[in-house]
Formats: sequence, C-alpha cells, structure tokens
Amino acid sequence: MSAEQRVADALDAFRHSLDNSGVIDGNAPDAVRYLHDWTGDYLGAACAVLRPKSVDEVQQIVRICSKYRLAIIPQGGNTGLVSGTVGNDAQGTIVLSLERLNRIRSIDPTNFTMRADAGVVLQSMKDAAENEDMLFPLALGAQGSCQIGGNVATNAGGINVLRYGMTRDLVLGLEAVLPDGSLWQGMTGLRKDNRGYDFKQLLIGSEGSLGIITGVEVKLFPRPANVETAYLGAESFESAMRLFGMARRICSDLLTAFEVIGSECIAMAKLGNPDTRPPLEGDWPVHIIMELGCSAAIDGRVLIETLLAEAFEAGLLGDGTIAQSRAQARAFWAIREDLVEGQAKRGRHVRTDLSVRLSDVPRMIDSCRQAIASDWPGWQPLAYGHAGDGNIHFNVLPPHDMPTEEIAAATPRVLASLYDIVRDLGGSFSAEHGVGRSRRDVYWDWLTPESRQLMKAIKSAFDPQGMMNPGGLMPD
Amino acid sequence: MKVLVPVKRVVDANVKVRVKGDGSGVELANVKMAMNPFDEIAVEEAIRLKDAGKVEEIIVVSIGPAQAQETLRTALAMGADRAILVKTDETAEPLGVAKVLKGVVDAEKPGLVILGKQAIDDDANQTGQMLAALLGWAQGTFASKVEINGDKAKVTREVDGGLQTIDLKMPAIVTVDLRLNQPRYASLPNIMKAKKKPLDEKSAADFGADLKPRLKVVKTEEPGGRKAGVKVKDVAELVSSLKSAGVI
Ligand SMILES: Cc1cc2nc3c(=O)[nH]c(=O)nc-3n(C[C@H](O)[C@H](O)[C@H](O)COP(=O)(O)OP(=O)(O)OC[C@H]3O[C@@H](n4cnc5c(N)ncnc54)[C@H](O)[C@@H]3O)c2cc1C
Repeated sequence: MSAEQRVADALDAFRHSLDNSGVIDGNAPDAVRYLHDWTGDYLGAACAVLRPKSVDEVQQIVRICSKYRLAIIPQGGNTGLVSGTVGNDAQGTIVLSLERLNRIRSIDPTNFTMRADAGVVLQSMKDAAENEDMLFPLALGAQGSCQIGGNVATNAGGINVLRYGMTRDLVLGLEAVLPDGSLWQGMTGLRKDNRGYDFKQLLIGSEGSLGIITGVEVKLFPRPANVETAYLGAESFESAMRLFGMARRICSDLLTAFEVIGSECIAMAKLGNPDTRPPLEGDWPVHIIMELGCSAAIDGRVLIETLLAEAFEAGLLGDGTIAQSRAQARAFWAIREDLVEGQAKRGRHVRTDLSVRLSDVPRMIDSCRQAIASDWPGWQPLAYGHAGDGNIHFNVLPPHDMPTEEIAAATPRVLASLYDIVRDLGGSFSAEHGVGRSRRDVYWDWLTPESRQLMKAIKSAFDPQGMMNPGGLMPD
Repeated sequence: MKVLVPVKRVVDANVKVRVKGDGSGVELANVKMAMNPFDEIAVEEAIRLKDAGKVEEIIVVSIGPAQAQETLRTALAMGADRAILVKTDETAEPLGVAKVLKGVVDAEKPGLVILGKQAIDDDANQTGQMLAALLGWAQGTFASKVEINGDKAKVTREVDGGLQTIDLKMPAIVTVDLRLNQPRYASLPNIMKAKKKPLDEKSAADFGADLKPRLKVVKTEEPGGRKAGVKVKDVAELVSSLKSAGVI
C-alpha cells in the first residue's frame, strides 16, 4: 500500500469515527493554527488534525493510528515553548487536539479536588474553583489558552510554585489513553497511596511521549481572603535573594510569589504596553514583585509592612510600594506580563528557563551577562523570572537589524554558552518549559548513561511502536 | 486653605460581589476592601493642589467601621496630612454621611471639599450634592479638571454629550470623575511615615449628627443572567427576528 493510500484510508476511518468538524485535512487552511508553535518560529506539518469530543473518540483515533501506522502528536493549547507539538512528517503524523474534550467533570469541596477533561483551559479551571470559594493555584502567562492536559504533560510551573509546587505537586489523579488504545485509569483523588509504582508521575512531564492524558484530578486550596502585593526596587540580585529569605521567615512562609525583573526588561514591558509605569522612585537595577496570601484572620498587611520596614533598615531595599487595591496589584503584575509580550514583539530571540540553587541565582545571572557581553557584542540580555524557585528566564535579544537566518544560526551557540554556565553550577537548562524538540539534543547530551537506559526502557514499556510524539524528548 | 477629602471604604473593585443567602445585602465577610476608586482620585487631586501651593493642609475623613482606619492610612500614605475617623457600625447612607460631613466642615472650616462622584458599592451619587445643599455652597460635580484661582474654582464637568466649564465661588464642593487624574502609588517610606500622622477617632454625635438608617433595604438580588444569543443566517432573518421580538 502506498503512503498516500494509507493516509487516505486512515482519513476515511477518522471521518467515520468523528463528526464533520472533528477532522481537518493537514493541507487545509484551518489546520495552520495547529501546525505552527506559539512563537511563530516553527511551522510543522501533519496529514490531519483530529478533534475528538470524548474519551471514547480518543481511543478510536489511537486504534486507527495504530492500524495505519500513523504517529500521534497530542496537542493542548499549543502554548508550549519548546516545539513539543510541531512535527514535520506530512504523511506519517496526526495532531490530536484535546480542545473539544473540555468539560469540568466535578468539584469535591470536602476532598478539595476538581476533576476535569484534559482539554479544559487553565483559566476555566481557576474560575470554576473560585466560584466554589477555592483556589486552583497553577498560574502562568499562558493561562487563557493552555490546557490542564498540556500543563500536566509539561509539568508546568509558573508564578505560584513557591507556595503550591509544580503541576506535579497538584495532581491527585490522571486518566490516559495508552498507545494501544486502552484506557489507563488513575483518577483516585487520594492524597496518600503507596501501592507500588506511581504511574501518573511518569505521565506528568512526559510531553506526549507515553500516552494521551484525557482526564485530570487536581488539588484545590482554600482561597486566600487576604492577598498583599508589593513592588520593590533593590540594588542587586544578591539583595533580592537575601530579601527572599527574610520574607519567608518574617511572613510565616505565606509567600505565594517572588518574581525578579532586571531593570533592563522594563523597556520590553513598555514595548508590550506603552503605558507601563513601574511604581518606583529612581532607577533600581532589580525590580521585585512579591505576593503573600492568607486567611482573613491573619493580618497580611502587618506581616508585609514589618518585613519591608526591616528590609529597609537592613539596606536590602531602595524603594517600593504595597498595592492598596487589587487594581494596583494587577498593574504590578501587568508589568511582568507585558515584558513577555514586548519580547514577542521584538521577533525571534534566544529564550531560556534556567534553574539553579537559590544560593547561585546572583552568580548565574552575573556569569551569563558577562558571557554575552564578551562573546556576543550588540546582543542584549534580559534577566527576569521566578527567583524564589531559583528559576531565571535569561533571554537574549539579537541586534535590531540582524536577519532572521543569522539569528537562527547564532541561537544554538548563544544557548551553548549559557547552558555551560548552568551546567557548571549543577543547574538545569529547563526549569519548567520542558525538552520538546528544540532541546532534545542538549537533553540527551547531559543525560548519564544510566538515565538514558531508564528513559528508553520506560518509553518502550508504554509505547513499543514509537507512535507517541516522535522527535520530541526521545532521540529518533 | 484647608481641603477636606471624604473617603469611603468599599469592596475592592476587582472582587466579584456575592449576594448574601438571605438577600439582606452583599457578602462582606472575608472580602478584600479598598478605598473607593473615585475617592483615590479626589485624594490625588488634593495632593496636586497642595503641591501647586494652592492648599496648606489636607484632611481626610472617613465615616465607617474601625477598619476604615486602613483606608485613611492609605490616604495619609499618598500624602494627606491628617485624618478623622467617624466611627459607626451602621451602614453609611448618603444623607447621614452628608450631615456628619457638614459637622466636620463647620469644625474644620475647609475652603474646599473634594470627594468622589459616587461610591462603587451603592453607586448613590448623592453625598456631594446633599452636602452642598446642607452647607449652601456652590458645587461642581463630575469634575475632569479643577483649577483654583483666588476665591474661584474653575471646574470642567463631564456632562452628557460633552464638557461643561463652570466657575464656582469658594468655599465649594467638587465631586470628581474618572478622567481627572491618575492616582499615585503610596511609596513604602510614605506608608511608614503615615503611621505617625495624626488620626482622630470621633463619633457622629461629636458633629451633632446621627447615622441611624433612613432607608430600609427590602431585597438584594443578583442581576438576572444574560440569555444566550442566537445566530441568524442573514440580514433578512435578523430583521424578521427583531420584528418578532418587537424591537423594531
Ligand atoms: C506567554 C507564555 C507564558 C508561559 N509561562 C510559563 C510559565 O510560567 N511556566 C511554565 O511552566 N510554562 C510556561 N509557558 C509554557 C506553556 O504555556 C506551558 O508549558 C503549558 O503548560 C503548555 O500547555 P498547552 O496546553 O499549551 O500544551 P501544548 O503546547 O499544546 O503541548 C505541550 C506538550 O504537551 C503535550 N501535550 C499537550 N496536551 C497533552 C495531553 N492531553 N496528553 C499528552 N500530552 C499532551 C504536547 O504533545 C507537547 O509535547 C508559557 C507559555 C507562554 C506562551
């Protein structure tokens, strides 16, 4: 059977199983938005985009793919930043979008959990929790588009990891369709369960390489009634990190976020939103957004004022302000979000999400800045991120007039010099964005032989035919 | 000249308000409170007048529960000079508040009272007007621009379909609208300094007024949810469905 015939037969089978709008031909204009990644840097190809509406339909698709030997790229909100959803095999791959599997199944206020289909958009999860006076704490810039299934598949982090952990810490149950079309059930909702291997932990962060997550049960938390947000200016990353330690102690470990923004990023925030106005007097090299949340009986304002008064005394802070209303707090956070928008407007650039021990954060930023200054004249570093988790986005903008091909060619070498620094510090080149296709080679390069062997064994235990997201995470 | 700025503690504008189970009002327990956003604009305007040398002292006053102190401290941190809390556990209603404010004006003798055009909790839009009537002062409501020249205040008002500029004889009442200014943040050093600024606690009786409710809330309910829309094929179908709905 020719490849064309195989694809045509498979498409017929898909059309038979799914409704009209469930099957989009890979060459149709409607397919384009599923085939390129969020940054627009990469455009992929696939023979079809499939949009199942039920778990049963997902199983049927997987069986058809298995029969016609088609590979599957699961896709959530397609906001991933490592080309995890961008395949390039127009004859051998389908994109399976979970966007129509998007029902919140139930909320259990006593168990403090929510069950949802994998395709529910993160923001809808958060809104549903809030309607029940609870909090689903996962929070990231892409929350209006990314899906809970995608968050689980990438073990997403975000701004509230500090208090509530990564997605891994928030998942109490999973359900997934395995590459043979069977349904693995693990929606237990149990907080404690020591029966053997914990398979859901393997699926979390598996980036579509082991199976298709169709359902999730996540932890909810009491919604903090008091949220206090401060925007601060400091002399250095060193003082910022000392402030963080002091904040944990004085604020009874109630911090939910501690973000740093190198002042060089403010120009990007202004590019994202010309009305950007940091609430600081004077120029401070490091801006900090700090938030704490607590129940009504605890006076968060007193905690944060006590902390900041002491930090001032100790010379850790130059200037700052505490939000007097949620509107002001939102304006602080808008600066953090707008700087990401601003970078996107600058077009192609080098992005990282580096992770080191908290004690190494200032040293890492210093070394990266030095490396760029000495080896990449005209390139502009930007350092910001989740400093409370030791996670810094150290991005580098190319010179304004550089052609895209030249940027693309330089990117791996710029990355290599940054990754070397992190590797020397015993850190990670991927704090939260994952491996995908764009970092696969460096991932395998760093892996020890023992880890490589375990990776391969686990992959073949789940997916012996190599159907799941080939080219991502695992070597070809 | 002294300027008096009344400020109200209200549910934070970004909080989703819920009606109490028994319909007697809205849920205030465990809810984030903040200064009425229009009052923030009034405080900012007073500070700008002081910076411009038109005003010597800014007094902020709040009529409300003990926690309204926090709202006053915010105003002091922005730059007001001293504060008066008229403590009450009654629901503050426009007429009662206007009567207390008249008492405060009689005691403090400000040349100008600047306040929000309305509070975002009850949206009454009455207090400034009632106060002007009780005092017999000129009033400029919905101000988007305020200029003080000697004993005249020139106020640009946002009216339906445009702007109206009026001259007021001082002393006067100005109620402020959204476009007047962009309020400043309270800086950390100023938040600390504000803790030491004077804040007097008073009762309505100290100003010869009482706050007992003059209104009775009969019922509070959620606005009805919006009905789902329908899709029409073409203009003809649009027109016919508008007709059958009796809209045209
Ligand atoms: C503006 C912006 C800000 C961001 N901020 C953060 C941040 O702070 N922290 C962070 O961690 N990430 C961040 N990201 C990255 C990204 O949003 C997250 O990684 C997100 O979790 C991806 O979810 P998604 O639904 O878009 O997944 P997609 O991009 O669609 O997919 C990501 C990977 O997961 C796989 N996958 C998706 N759904 C499933 C499923 N149901 N079953 C199996 N595999 C699946 C895909 O095959 C792919 O490999 C950000 C992205 C943007 C654009």
